[in-house]
Amino acid sequence: MIEITNLTYTYPQSDRPALQDVTWRAMAGDFVLLAGASGSGKSTLLRCLNGLVPHFSGGVVQGQISVNGLDVLAAGPRTMSHHVGFVQQNPEAQAVVEQVEAEIAFGLENQAVPPQAMRIQVEEVLELLELSALRERPLSTLSGGERQRVAIASALALRPPLLVLDEPTSQLDPQSAEEVLRALVRLNEDLGLTIVLAEHRLERILPYVDHILYLENGRVVVDGPTREVVDQMPQLPPVAALGRKLNWQPLPLTVKEARRFTRQDSVDSNQDGIWRTEDRNDSRSAVLSSRSSLLEAKGVSFAYNGCPTLIDVDLQVGAGEAVAVMGRNGAGKSTLLKCIVGLLSPAAGEVWVNGRSTQTREVADICREVGYLPQNPDDLLFADTVADELQFTLNNHGLNHNGVHQLLGELGLGRVAQAYPRDLSVGQRQRVALGAVTVTRPKLLLLDEPTRGLDYAAKQGMVAIWRRWLATGMGLLLVTHDVELTAMIADRVAIMSQGEIIAAGKTADILSATPLFAPQIARLFPNRGWLTVQDALGMMLPDKQLA
Amino acid sequence: MKARHTQAWIVWLVAAAVLALSTRNPLYLILLLLLARLVAVVCGRQDAGFSLPLLKLGLVIMSFATLLNALFVPIGSVILFTLPDWPLIGGAVTLEAAVYGAINGLVLWTLLVIFAAINQIVPTADLVRLTPRALRDLGVVILIAVTYVPETIQQVQRIREAQAIRGNRLTHWRDWRSVLTPLLIGGLERAMVLAEAMVARGYGATADTEQPWQVRLLLLLALGLSFGGWVWSFWVGWPGWVLLVLGLLLVAVWLWQAGHQVKVTRYRPQPWTKWDVGLIGTAVIPLLFLFLPWFDRSSLFYTPYPSLTIPPLDLLFAVALLCLAYPAIIVVRSS
Repeated sequence: MIEITNLTYTYPQSDRPALQDVTWRAMAGDFVLLAGASGSGKSTLLRCLNGLVPHFSGGVVQGQISVNGLDVLAAGPRTMSHHVGFVQQNPEAQAVVEQVEAEIAFGLENQAVPPQAMRIQVEEVLELLELSALRERPLSTLSGGERQRVAIASALALRPPLLVLDEPTSQLDPQSAEEVLRALVRLNEDLGLTIVLAEHRLERILPYVDHILYLENGRVVVDGPTREVVDQMPQLPPVAALGRKLNWQPLPLTVKEARRFTRQDSVDSNQDGIWRTEDRNDSRSAVLSSRSSLLEAKGVSFAYNGCPTLIDVDLQVGAGEAVAVMGRNGAGKSTLLKCIVGLLSPAAGEVWVNGRSTQTREVADICREVGYLPQNPDDLLFADTVADELQFTLNNHGLNHNGVHQLLGELGLGRVAQAYPRDLSVGQRQRVALGAVTVTRPKLLLLDEPTRGLDYAAKQGMVAIWRRWLATGMGLLLVTHDVELTAMIADRVAIMSQGEIIAAGKTADILSATPLFAPQIARLFPNRGWLTVQDALGMMLPDKQLA
Repeated sequence: MKARHTQAWIVWLVAAAVLALSTRNPLYLILLLLLARLVAVVCGRQDAGFSLPLLKLGLVIMSFATLLNALFVPIGSVILFTLPDWPLIGGAVTLEAAVYGAINGLVLWTLLVIFAAINQIVPTADLVRLTPRALRDLGVVILIAVTYVPETIQQVQRIREAQAIRGNRLTHWRDWRSVLTPLLIGGLERAMVLAEAMVARGYGATADTEQPWQVRLLLLLALGLSFGGWVWSFWVGWPGWVLLVLGLLLVAVWLWQAGHQVKVTRYRPQPWTKWDVGLIGTAVIPLLFLFLPWFDRSSLFYTPYPSLTIPPLDLLFAVALLCLAYPAIIVVRSS
């Protein structure tokens, strides 16, 4: 299906090739995972498959690309649209028409497909992606997952044998992401559609892919069938990472596969009692009671157009403490953050920051003491350099510019201080945005989905920064869907549903008690209070060495 | 059953709008307004998405028009009160002037309700499909704009919030750069993504063929004649108009000819049903009353001057207006 030989490609006005000497083959019916850090050339390689690179982007290309027997470089994207369906990250940005059915038919109309054939083709993809019930709905009323399924349906309407997706779930919440990935698995298994998928969320998709291609700086580092090469992947989902450390063979890719090893492991079943330890949680939570409260919310309620989105919410964040708020989309999590910083004024209840009530205070005034990082960092960034971006915030507050460079150093942005923020990678942009809201050195930091769209390394970098700040007594309130992140950093968790906090407590208690929010390690070792690979290794390896 | 054909609805829209514009009789206007609202509520889509606060807007328009006319036009016999001799708005404020302003406001409100009804009934995508094939690219641009409007509004809101939490109070005009820059760049980035998506879906794959020189010459000739005729008509009168009409005819020929060049098809072509024919027929009936020679049209031209009277009502015409409710009636009857 795909044959790429010695492909090297350089973007215009770039001195470093984005792809170097890539040679890769894929068979019809394969489900290929294209992995690699942000900026490793994944998107570029995907765009080579339908000729967007170099026909749309310009630049210099060497080598051969053949897809479905066609020479892509000669054919160009318009011809390739019959052979390759293409789906991008952001479902909002790729729609032309504001109605599901019309949007799917748009491509067909432009290719002058006869009305009769068009009717069947549209019907087919509506059925395949389970969109029949939504066919007449305007796109703006759909959820992110539904919109992404519409984008996939639109890409498949011309019946291409190959579907190419560029991080289609990175902007979605886990439920929507799951929905999209399930649809892809079904298309691959039932229809034999060849799929090439670039993706960060390995834990969900790894069990389903046949083939992995891992890129690093534009070069292919790993290429082969999943089970054979998964060992060589630099990053793995938690169960596989644990398996690698404990030499489980073959490496488990799902919690179910890993259970085989935990059951076999005699140590596990016999010495259950030894591992029942709450050390980790005790040490982290013991300090809580004595901490001074940075944030206190009491009985906060809010309604959008008469529809209650927050109902009587109580919340506390102490110094040096990280609290995670989790829950489905629309549970009121973001509304809660906006009520705290005063962007929305609560209908009832009160919020205290550093012991002072926020009632009657301006947003700008509150935000001097509270850093609030909204979901999309690009909404914040407008200045010409990274340093300007931080200084702008200080100017707004009438503060002097001392400490800008120290903060840039802490954020690992020292070297790009004079760069244009929008030229940076996603992870760096996220850190610039973080700098822009924390340059007043607030004691309390609110984060809204801070790891959305970040790759593994960028996520680790962020977590390291927050850990250092926590150690200096900063309080952290994060709203997130990312259970692994919560497991790594949060001391306490509150779970919200329909505007109410339905469960709250220590991270280990809450996460292991709620299957929906349990990280892989907690599902693998129920009732132990282990959440991360480190937890499990810390408890298991000493025992193993003793035995 | 439901009338669906876009062109039938356009006839309804034109009929209702022409009627609203040709009368100043408040009774007819109120009747038209209520009919349009009824049709919108009965035939409109439930999830039309964007809807105007029609009542609020109407009250604002009416009070504004009333106030403006009452203040600026000191003509009439019933004087409510007298303002000191201020420039422009000084002098007597009369009841007649207020009523006259209110009627004008009512006309605007009625038109608004009529257009809102069409917006609620016919999907925007269908309206855009009415653009001639030769201008299809223009239609696509409009479609994209319609899709982007709700998103851009949300984006402005998000960016304003993002700036507010950085302590930006947006008091000085220079502070707005921090809102405009992310909005513009975000818009450009989205446009690039969309362009890629459209190319990847084969947009323009059939349009690569260039128009033959004869067709291009035809357009040049048509536009030249129309413009020349229009300018000439200022000096010479009717010969100019003849040229203009000729030019416009040629434009129509060009649209037809160039449309053949564009190879696109239509998903779910709308069939004409008897309901659509009925819709056109009933919309034309009240319109006929504006042209029938034996019909006494004096009740249409109500004015509060020289003195305020109760507006006359021609029962026959009022019944004819009721025909506009036909699309609502067939929906109600069939359910």
